[in-house]
Amino acid sequence: MLAAVASSLLLLFLVLPVVRLVAAAGPDGAARLWSDAELRQSLALTAMTATAATLIAAVCGAPLAWLLARRAFRGRALVAAVLDLPLLIPHPVAGIALLLLLGRGSALGSSLLSLGLRIVGTPLGIIAAMLFVSAPLFVSGAREAFARVDARLEGVARTLGDTPWRAFRRVTLPLAARGLIASGVVSWARAVSEFGAIVILAYNPKVVSVLAYDRFTGFGLSEALPVAAALVLLSLIPLTALRALRIDDGAAGV
Amino acid sequence: MISAAQLRARVGAFTLDDISFDVPSGAYGVVIGPTGSGKTTLLEVISGLVPQTGGTLALNGRDATRESPDARGIGLVYQLGFLFPHLSVEQNVMYGATDAAFAASIARRFGVHDFYSRSVNSLSGGERQLVALARALARKPELLLLDEPFSALDPPRRAAARREVRAIHRELGLTTLHVTHDFAEAGSLGDIAILLDGGRVLQSGEPADVFRHPKTPYVAEFLGAENVFAGGVMHEGGEAVFRSGPLAMHVAGSAVSGPCHAIIRAEEILISRATPAPSSARNHFSGPVRDIATVGPLWHVTIDVGGVPLVAALTTYSADELALAVGDTAYFTFKATAVHLC
Repeated sequence: MLAAVASSLLLLFLVLPVVRLVAAAGPDGAARLWSDAELRQSLALTAMTATAATLIAAVCGAPLAWLLARRAFRGRALVAAVLDLPLLIPHPVAGIALLLLLGRGSALGSSLLSLGLRIVGTPLGIIAAMLFVSAPLFVSGAREAFARVDARLEGVARTLGDTPWRAFRRVTLPLAARGLIASGVVSWARAVSEFGAIVILAYNPKVVSVLAYDRFTGFGLSEALPVAAALVLLSLIPLTALRALRIDDGAAGV
Repeated sequence: MISAAQLRARVGAFTLDDISFDVPSGAYGVVIGPTGSGKTTLLEVISGLVPQTGGTLALNGRDATRESPDARGIGLVYQLGFLFPHLSVEQNVMYGATDAAFAASIARRFGVHDFYSRSVNSLSGGERQLVALARALARKPELLLLDEPFSALDPPRRAAARREVRAIHRELGLTTLHVTHDFAEAGSLGDIAILLDGGRVLQSGEPADVFRHPKTPYVAEFLGAENVFAGGVMHEGGEAVFRSGPLAMHVAGSAVSGPCHAIIRAEEILISRATPAPSSARNHFSGPVRDIATVGPLWHVTIDVGGVPLVAALTTYSADELALAVGDTAYFTFKATAVHLC
């Protein structure tokens, strides 16, 4: 009984602020999508940069996740610890660290600048900040997805004539696909909701979270509400996608 | 041909150590061992899925020690089948097949064709094993490795699958290595038996030879020998006699002397209700029946010889005819050659 009350209270605490926000400003937020060009641009920028960060995390993170799931190598525990690091650092601190590495005062930042790649205050900076905070989530999810595929299935494919890459493509990848997509969705949602690292590395152009903060500090709560509500609506996309993935999740036997 | 010499491998804390045996080209080898003896690991080492840490492995005359699994020409069937759950039964069978007509004929022979359209997840354990067998054979492998492939089949389908595998083995001249913990299966299938325990080969050779002449008492008990006695051989008046407590039995030959073990298989002992007529059998014991139990198609009768149990086997028909009951006196007779010393 006590457990039920405690659980209900926690759930209410998690749901009520969001419901209150959407109820107060949802319709206005939706209407502003037509009238507020800055909000529209900001939403598009957020979606595009989050997608780019997720794709980079997937392309570079999937092989790492496979290695962590399948191979016992020296330093595996260290790699796993390194992957946890961005999740433990406060996000403004992550932003400062990224600024230190990629800012124009740094060796890497100035080399990139000489190649025409400006990081600070550009979409590239936003992508870098998003990647830093979301890629570990992708790798951790993808590692679990690969680990759930029994290695003996790959082994059987090898004895049936497949090279390691062919066995991966024909067996491991299709069986891990659902888990990989779910990891991508979680990673994308994390990127969309990032604020702390982005605000330091690229205040402008403004992603939605920065725009909500900007409106709040510049114009007050009433102006920030529709933007915040629009961000919540954007976040519903990955939530719905995850639900759909889980509903279809049939038991994969051997 | 599968030829292993001082093969070593490690999986976690388990090691396969100093594994040496030969299965000649076209022969049917059977690996027997209890759970955890390393049977599956041995098949995975031969497949190249678990790396060797020492020794050499030759497959069909070529050194396969460093060959990758896809180049070894091996068909591997796991006990659990490990069918690809995202593919249909037909796609599983055809996965590695290069000759579609041959693959379809194999599927028909195992009755897998009948459930081509079914989802892999809806198959029973036995059906999975049949699909896994068909998938491995559809590729026309040079060598077939089977890990308890009939364990989930009901007896009639098991017998049919065994016959099919034996037939295909003969038709294709397929060198086969079959893992089981069932010695009856080993005896009925194998040309060569390899006994594995604790990651080591205890004994290998023709099944009948291994069955009748176990090298150690452990092997004898492992193979289900009912009568294993520790004692010693003495030569008395030109005759070799094995003594163990109250038991004294004539044994053949004079090669062994001193402490050893004697093994007599229950099937080698004749049982009668009255003192047997004189015969060439040199060993006679009698005592009260302590236990009568069924063991598969046979009956095991245990008599008490001065506090030592001695077990003989007889068929159901003979058991009915003798109508022995616990407490009756029974007479056991066996030849000196039935006593195996080690």
